[in-house]
Amino acid sequence: MSTETVTATSTELERSDQSIRQRILAYPRPAVLWGSVFTLLLVPELGAVIHAFTQGLLGVLKLLPGDPAVQSAAQLVSAAEEIPTLLSRELIGNRGHRTPGGGWDGTFLGLSAKQAWVIRFTLIYVYAAAMLYWLWRGYLTYREHYRITDWSPVDDQIDRFSSHNWGRAGLVVVAFFLVMALFAPAIGPTTLEQNIRQPYSYETEYLDSETGTVETTPIGVANVQSTSDSNDAVGPWSYDDFDRFHPAGTLKTGKDMMTFLAHGARVSLLIGGASIFLAGFIAVALALVTAYYKGLVDLIVVLTSDSIQVIPVILLLILAMTLFANHWLSAVFNGSLLLILIFAFTNWTFIWRTIRGPALQVAEEEWVDAARSYGQAPRKTMEKHMLPYVIGYLLVYGSMRIGGIIVAVAGLSYLGLGISPPTPEWGRAIASGQNLVTTQAWHIALIPGLMITLLVTGLNAFGDGIRDAIDPQSDGAGSEEAEATGGGA
Amino acid sequence: MSRWQYLAKRLVLSLPVLVFGTTMSFIVVYMSPLNPVSAILGTSYTPEAAEQLRQNLGLNQPLWQQYVQYITSLWTFDFQNSWVIQRGTNAGTLVWVYLPRTLWLGLWSVVIAILFGIPLGFYAGLNPNTGGDYLASFGGIVWRAMPNFWLAVILVSVLSQSKDFLGFEWAGWLVQTNIVTPPNLAFFNDPMGAVENPQQWWITVGDNGSFLAAFKQILPAALVLGSASMGNEMRIGRTAVLEQVNSQYVETARAKGVPERLIVWKHVFRNAMIPLVPIIAGEAFLLIGGSVLVETVFAINGLGYLFFQAALNADVPLLGVLVFMFSVLLIALNIAQDLLYTLIDPRVGYEDG
Repeated sequence: MSTETVTATSTELERSDQSIRQRILAYPRPAVLWGSVFTLLLVPELGAVIHAFTQGLLGVLKLLPGDPAVQSAAQLVSAAEEIPTLLSRELIGNRGHRTPGGGWDGTFLGLSAKQAWVIRFTLIYVYAAAMLYWLWRGYLTYREHYRITDWSPVDDQIDRFSSHNWGRAGLVVVAFFLVMALFAPAIGPTTLEQNIRQPYSYETEYLDSETGTVETTPIGVANVQSTSDSNDAVGPWSYDDFDRFHPAGTLKTGKDMMTFLAHGARVSLLIGGASIFLAGFIAVALALVTAYYKGLVDLIVVLTSDSIQVIPVILLLILAMTLFANHWLSAVFNGSLLLILIFAFTNWTFIWRTIRGPALQVAEEEWVDAARSYGQAPRKTMEKHMLPYVIGYLLVYGSMRIGGIIVAVAGLSYLGLGISPPTPEWGRAIASGQNLVTTQAWHIALIPGLMITLLVTGLNAFGDGIRDAIDPQSDGAGSEEAEATGGGA
Repeated sequence: MSRWQYLAKRLVLSLPVLVFGTTMSFIVVYMSPLNPVSAILGTSYTPEAAEQLRQNLGLNQPLWQQYVQYITSLWTFDFQNSWVIQRGTNAGTLVWVYLPRTLWLGLWSVVIAILFGIPLGFYAGLNPNTGGDYLASFGGIVWRAMPNFWLAVILVSVLSQSKDFLGFEWAGWLVQTNIVTPPNLAFFNDPMGAVENPQQWWITVGDNGSFLAAFKQILPAALVLGSASMGNEMRIGRTAVLEQVNSQYVETARAKGVPERLIVWKHVFRNAMIPLVPIIAGEAFLLIGGSVLVETVFAINGLGYLFFQAALNADVPLLGVLVFMFSVLLIALNIAQDLLYTLIDPRVGYEDG
């Protein structure tokens, strides 16, 4: 045993004064192996990555006054669209029409629209699973060959999590929705632009069953004749009269619901993720500072957070959304920015409350005291010796609160506030289908609600898993969960 | 520190919070681009009339003067009149009219959650890792994750078609009621009727409604509003019972030969209630916020509905009163929660409130 320890320490010593680059150069084989497979995996989707990046750039540029360089950024976006990608709707197209002879024209390999869509959908998830697995392998490679220390407490936490079935199930659900949000343009059987935003500017071809000829009609006209209401509905997993396949049926307006849902996942997860990121950042910074200095700083933050908490979140949201309805802030990203800011503003108080305990605990530890007497700068002490201990709790509570935020956003859309139409939001589908639940068009209100339930359950399970991993002694339930359900939305 | 000293300290500390809270509501309402003038005038809008109205409402005064007025009117309970919802009616009166329905809804959602959540949680805790436990636990988790407004939408639809889905007519069951109208609570104006005229007060539906009718009408809404609380109580109840069952004093009692029934009822359940108390008290937070959506779906015109309308119509005085009221209520509940905790579990100190 003693020899092992000695060798381990010697490699650690040797590694500790090398940069990560030097460590890889010293033993390049695993890194090169991993890197080449990663590149192989990335290449088919490179176009999509560049496209997403340039589009984000364009969005940021549009925010700046005077719109500098918007022209050239827009050119970059269209250039990125030209790069062929594996999982795009162009390569595996499901838009086409039947032919009088009984086959299909315009779809991938002449398959039916349904088959083409199923293939694309399946491929996307296979690809995402492979990519995630390979990233995991990358971490393992780093851990085994390049990390300075042989062992860290995080290793044990990850091991505990990977034997936590409930938490793993949550992770799978969360990953499912993340992939749906990321690949939203390719997951929908049609595009947001053509089917939902500008249906009258695009045309579609179909086989007229009466005359037996192929006709052309504006998508808007086709939508109006494919509506789902109490009498006649295009239900899930069915074709409409225009040879278009609807995996989740159509909305009350005849628009495709799968496209709506996939882009709705994007909106929900963006708002949830961004606001929790912002709120978590504020909360962690404040928790470290208040735990380190205590006293007056702590009291001020307590009072501030209490004052914010005193107004029920959902009321504050309704207030802000109605009051800012015609303000420029509510126009940025279709209202997402305003929502993100409000959720960050209210949520940091709850997160700070929960991580204040662990932060105070770690501030009492001897190693913090040692760092202080050794003369380390307070900021350095907080970053190096307190932050790693606190960050896990942030993950637990953050993942649980995202669920609450997603529910709250949907609730606001249900009331007609928040995200402005026609940008898809799950809550709006529920509102439009609320009188149709017991009719043929049951799917309009039911499916988005089930998706929210599934996603929130997944996030809670994921949070449970992490909590049990970082704190095995915890009793598995705490008051923090009481508030993690969206302020009652 | 004695209990009274602790209470005094909490009260003193809650004052700045209340001042901060009301100030924040003022900032949100007054700094925002809302326009009550055009909301009041509507189609009869002319620049002169608008100017006249601004003068009348005091909107032309300096902001600090408006702030002082706003704060003093709230703190002296001398509320202003509503601007838009019901012009000329005092905001306090308006709140008083809408309050009972929300209270009725809130009361039953808490009670129903307790009646279902705690027994289920205790059952799961006493039979850990059995099929029943898994069913109850998983059901509780999913039940809690469902968005309230969605659950309400589904419930309203199913109840409207109850003949097809449930096999009996919900609207005509026991007493004739509607599914989505506010409950008639007029029978409460005559509290003596409960004894003098029990048949009419408790059951028969007259002009004043009856207890049974009002209860039946609020039941679906209360079930939805309490869904999250029910799930929480179940989970926490389960963990608490498990913890007690595995503790050493239970082992000792068992070794002494105390009957299992007695152990469970006298020791385990009593101690398992401790962590549940603050959870139950804390649920008021959810109820106040959540009532907006649930009241909208079930068309119960309570405080949540009033708040939503006030926000939509920029009724500033009414908004101020409502936010102030909610804040006072939440602070009071917070303090009550802490006190209850210390009463129930003497080991909890007063020091780190």
